[in-house]
Amino acid sequence: MRRAGLLLGAMLLTLNACAFSRGTLGEEIKTDTVNSIKKGVTTRADVLAQLGAPDRLLQLNGRDLFQYYRYDAKVGSLLLILINFSRVSVKSDDLFVIINRDGIVEDVIASKRTENLEFRFWPFGD
Amino acid sequence: MLPRTVSRTFLFAAILMMPLSGCNVARLTINTPLTPQTVSFITEGQTTLTDVVNKLGAPDSITDAEGGAVVTYRFLNAKYSRVNFGWLVKPWSPVDPDLVFSRSGMGTDAFELLCDSNWVVTHQAFVRHRPDPLFTPYPF
Repeated sequence: MRRAGLLLGAMLLTLNACAFSRGTLGEEIKTDTVNSIKKGVTTRADVLAQLGAPDRLLQLNGRDLFQYYRYDAKVGSLLLILINFSRVSVKSDDLFVIINRDGIVEDVIASKRTENLEFRFWPFGD
Repeated sequence: MLPRTVSRTFLFAAILMMPLSGCNVARLTINTPLTPQTVSFITEGQTTLTDVVNKLGAPDSITDAEGGAVVTYRFLNAKYSRVNFGWLVKPWSPVDPDLVFSRSGMGTDAFELLCDSNWVVTHQAFVRHRPDPLFTPYPF
C-alpha cells in the first residue's frame, strides 16, 4: 500500500500530460434491432429495411450471409517526463444474418463486445 | 473482419501519437486474445456454433467451405517499446542527441472452426499460435 502510494506520488510529480482518444468505424448495431429479427419469420426485405445494406455479403452453401460490423477503438496515454505509457484497445460488434433460398432469416449470430471497452493506459498485464 | 490495413493504421497511429520522450511503452489489443484453455470446451463432432457464439461471441468472419462453413475469430496483441539513450547526455550537450533503441512485436493469431451444414463443429485449430511478444526495446 505504501509502495503504491509512493509510486502514485512519483507519477503525479512527473506527470506531463494525459491523452484520451477514440475512433469508431461503422454505425452502431442496436440491440433492439437485432432482437426484432426473428428466425423463420423476418424476410430479407425486412432486414434490409431495418439495417440497410450489409457491410459484407457472402454466399454460404446457397444461402445469403449478411454481415454488419462496427469497430470501436479507445486510446489512453499517460505522458510522464521520462516515460510514456499508451494503450490502444479495439473491439468489434458483429452481426451475421443467414437468409435461406426462400428469402427468410434462417439464423442470427450477434455479439456486442464494445460495451465493455474501457480507456486503459497501462500496457502491462492482460 | 478487420482489414490488415486498418490494424496497421491503428498501430502506426499509436506510435506516432507519442511525443519524443526518454522511454515509450505502448500496446495495441484487438479483441480478446483466445488461448487453448479458452476454447477447451469445444468438442469436435458435438459442439455447435451456437454453443461457441454463446461463450466467445460472434466471430469476425464466416466463409463458405465444401459442405459447411469456416468460422474465424481474429485477435491481435502488439507491443512496442522504445528507449532514447540520447536523453542521458541532453543536459551536457549543446545539440539534441538521439540514440534510439526500439522494437515492436505483433502476436497476430486467428482461431478457426470448420462447421458442417448443421452448424456442428467438425474441426478447430489456431492458425499461427505465435508466442506473446515481450516489451524489449533491444533490437539486436
